[in-house]
Amino acid sequence: MSDLDEFKATYFDECSELLLELEEQFSAIQEGDRDSERLNAVFRAIHSIKGGGGAFGFDGLVKFAHSFETLLDYVRDGKVELSEDVIVLCIRSIDIVADFVGAARTGDALAASYGAVEKAQFDALARGQSAGAASTDDEPMDDFDIDFTPVAVNLERELPMASTAPATDGMTRWTIGFTPFPTLYERANDPLLLFRELGMLGTMTVTPRLKPMPKLADFDPFGVYCAWDIELVSDRASADTIREVFEFVDGDCAITIEMHEGSAPAAIALDDDDLPSFAALAEMAKAERKFIATGDADDMGAGADLSALLDDTKAEAAAPAPLHLVAEAAPAPATAANRDRSTDAPEDSASSGRPVGMQSIRVDLDKVDRVVNMVGELVITQSMLTQQMDDAIRDRYQELVRGIEVLAQTTRGLQDAVMAIRAQPVKSVFSRMPRLVRELASKTGKKIKLETIGENTEIDKTVIEQLSDPLTHMVRNSADHGIESPEKRVSRGKPEVGTVRLSAEQAGGNILIIVEDDGGGINRDRVLEIARERGVVGPDQQMTDEQIDNLIFAPGFSTASEVSDISGRGVGMDVVLSNIKKIGGSVHVRSWTGKGTRMTLRLPLTLAVLDVMLVKVAGSPYVIPLSSIVETIQNSRADFGHMPSGGKVLQVRGEYVQVVDLATRFEMTTDQAEDSRFVVLCEAEGNSKIALVVDDIIGQQQVVIKSLEENFERIDGIAGGTILGDGNVALIVDVQSLKSGTAHQTAA
Amino acid sequence: MRVLTVDDSRTILAMLHHTLTNAGFEVLQAENGQVGLDMLGREDVDVVITDINMPVMDGIEFIKQVRATGKHQSLPILILTTETSQDKRDQGRAAGGTGWIVKPFDPEKLISVINKVVH
Amino acid sequence: MEALGIRDDYSDGTAASQNTLQLIAFSIDEQIYGVEITTVREIRAWNGATPLPNTREYVRGVINLRGTIVPIFDLRARFGDGKTNPTKNHVVVVMSVGDKWIGILVDAVSDILTVSKDDIHTVPEGNSVDTELLNGIVTHDGRMVGLIDLAAVVSGAKTDA
Repeated sequence: MSDLDEFKATYFDECSELLLELEEQFSAIQEGDRDSERLNAVFRAIHSIKGGGGAFGFDGLVKFAHSFETLLDYVRDGKVELSEDVIVLCIRSIDIVADFVGAARTGDALAASYGAVEKAQFDALARGQSAGAASTDDEPMDDFDIDFTPVAVNLERELPMASTAPATDGMTRWTIGFTPFPTLYERANDPLLLFRELGMLGTMTVTPRLKPMPKLADFDPFGVYCAWDIELVSDRASADTIREVFEFVDGDCAITIEMHEGSAPAAIALDDDDLPSFAALAEMAKAERKFIATGDADDMGAGADLSALLDDTKAEAAAPAPLHLVAEAAPAPATAANRDRSTDAPEDSASSGRPVGMQSIRVDLDKVDRVVNMVGELVITQSMLTQQMDDAIRDRYQELVRGIEVLAQTTRGLQDAVMAIRAQPVKSVFSRMPRLVRELASKTGKKIKLETIGENTEIDKTVIEQLSDPLTHMVRNSADHGIESPEKRVSRGKPEVGTVRLSAEQAGGNILIIVEDDGGGINRDRVLEIARERGVVGPDQQMTDEQIDNLIFAPGFSTASEVSDISGRGVGMDVVLSNIKKIGGSVHVRSWTGKGTRMTLRLPLTLAVLDVMLVKVAGSPYVIPLSSIVETIQNSRADFGHMPSGGKVLQVRGEYVQVVDLATRFEMTTDQAEDSRFVVLCEAEGNSKIALVVDDIIGQQQVVIKSLEENFERIDGIAGGTILGDGNVALIVDVQSLKSGTAHQTAA
Repeated sequence: MRVLTVDDSRTILAMLHHTLTNAGFEVLQAENGQVGLDMLGREDVDVVITDINMPVMDGIEFIKQVRATGKHQSLPILILTTETSQDKRDQGRAAGGTGWIVKPFDPEKLISVINKVVH
Repeated sequence: MEALGIRDDYSDGTAASQNTLQLIAFSIDEQIYGVEITTVREIRAWNGATPLPNTREYVRGVINLRGTIVPIFDLRARFGDGKTNPTKNHVVVVMSVGDKWIGILVDAVSDILTVSKDDIHTVPEGNSVDTELLNGIVTHDGRMVGLIDLAAVVSGAKTDA
């Protein structure tokens, strides 16, 4: 990746965060919170987006952001009222900025007129409020056309004044009078540097004009006791270039510039013995500074020397050196040694051994994942050790036992701490929803309010990443299918504005994410009809209301032709289910006719560690997630029934459950006697059960999930792998995909 | 030569870091004025480059506070800004800013401005 | 892969001149095969593998390579000569293919060979298994060495699926 690409990547990352921030701040503003800090925050966010965009030449983005920023500036200063209209305009404009950023990222071109309407509105608002100061509106890019021109610097640092060769034709002689004011020193400007810069324009002679010096006791280190007259002989200086040298001290000094026609004699006044040396003055200035800066004993000494110097004007006057600034004038910004060091570690300032000092650091998720994985292994090793301690060991090796107990505690603490590193508030996903709801509302002509609750609830980052798509589908579904048109709502006696509520909370080891709407509820007759048409449900199958509601997640239920333009894009809610299952979660829906629908996502806090039951099938180890196990039954005590297909069903508490022999399913042979095998009754989605037959049950433990796909490919019926305490690989059974009919559709 | 860069934009910090380290500077970074101020308490630097618009502590306040500590009265501080509105720059100067750099900057320009204010 | 403590810059130490290849040579029955040494990450004795259900015969299962799960391909079975009946004397050669790590089960690792690229012959047309799985044939000390096309060994597993 080139440097530029890297900066761009940083910039786009930053933009994503800033856009979230904008979204958040404006939604608070819209709710009536007019805290001035919010306005400052939105201003800064737009400003940063613009600033970075300018660096990369994203002109469209920059122009739009500039108009936006100008308006915000007026709003901040109270020159434009933050009316409802302005807020709505701003919120719409965030989306436009997001689109500009998105286009810049992908390199796509937006229509030239994109955002033009909003921009015109910004400009009009700003113009209306800034009569007489309309320049910013007419020339929105003036930020970048500032009258600042850098002084030409000879990078080779060859100073023309190093030579005192006589002036040749084309030379102009300038006389510059320079009298600093105290403010010049207060702003840490330094006459020496100005002279150095001036010296780059030509050959220069500097003559100080000393004012009477006070006694040391009365000496003000920032006082002005000296002014200078400068003679410059140059073939390229102009009044402007000379003024530019003094750009930073404009207003902090008095400057006179005079040009003398004709070629000038070189090195005037070089032998003027009456003048103190500039070098001596510079030394003096340094000593003063040091004195001020630290005031310690050594520098007091320097101060004392200074007083001697000050009291004895003769000493100054006798200083022999003429005013050559050559030696001091041009220290290179980097010494050779510095350069060497920076070549050794060009990108890493931390390598200098000093703290860079960020209060937070950014770490690749990969690195954190590695730590998470290792901590996972540690947890497992530790629990293995603990399990192997029997009473005899406890009695005999008390110190060892105590050590293992401490290890257990520390390990748990470490695990929590590491997980906390990866945890992120769900805000990052939630905050994408307001825009979605706005778009849906405007497309469908509905009035929809989005409420979010618990957006600071934290979940593992990997879970959050997987959450975005399903949540988008669910919110779309609520807004598109749930909320009724305003007319219909009014006729039903409901408020005209529908509400979609998005909430997150932690419940035990799970996170619950709930999407609720106060719309019409699921039309069960229609759902059942479609499900029958599509063969999702048998023609005579009887279903409870709850089962019908959950049909919307069934594979094959929704199709492209049926879902609307907004909700659909050809994928239905079954995608939600499979995405959520992929991260070990579940979805459940409940609906109340005429009142609304609630969809509940249950997600694991972390994906890294899984509680499992370890079993054996045909001599190989498999693990089944504990969360899906209902109970285990020895085959000899299980109540099997035989089906015409040759398959088996298990009767348990009046329910008939499909039986899957894992050995058969996995095409392996077992020599285990049928009666000594076990049934593991598992619960799949939607309360549907499946009975897995295994050879033996070894026990329960925690495992770290490993991917099979990293080095191989997905295996049907297997959700992944894990490494057991003895170093062997065990496979994680994918309960959901073993349910007949879904086996080949579920991605794990 | 050490430069303290203070900006809430990671993009700008990254670009400054790149340009300045390439030019042989050692670069310290702070994401707002408060962090910058804390850093100046611990670290010696030769020049400061600061943004104006920042959360927690903005650039103007940062400069004022830097100047208020006796130790840094002669520390050159460059204001980094896209603001042309003379008032921001003037505020920065009134607070004690030594000079300014206009974003977007090109690397040469940046270095030449720094060379204008440091020995 | 960095986590495994194995660096990718093998070629620095073993770099042969531009026109030669260094091969790890191994045998199946009496036949010698080779893979480029730069792809080899580790050679380990066979110590069992967890079988994978519902996959092809020549995928012997998966092993734990310092925390990562790596699939093992039985090269004899891949050539269609039946499954290897592995003992502790059999060898797994762990290699990187693209961004994946795989192991191949072979009878024994015999040598490191340096061969000239000019001596590589194309595989005679005829048997599709040969042309699919071999990149070429090279003669070393009067013996024929088949150059294994690792990508084909792995991707074949997918296309067959």
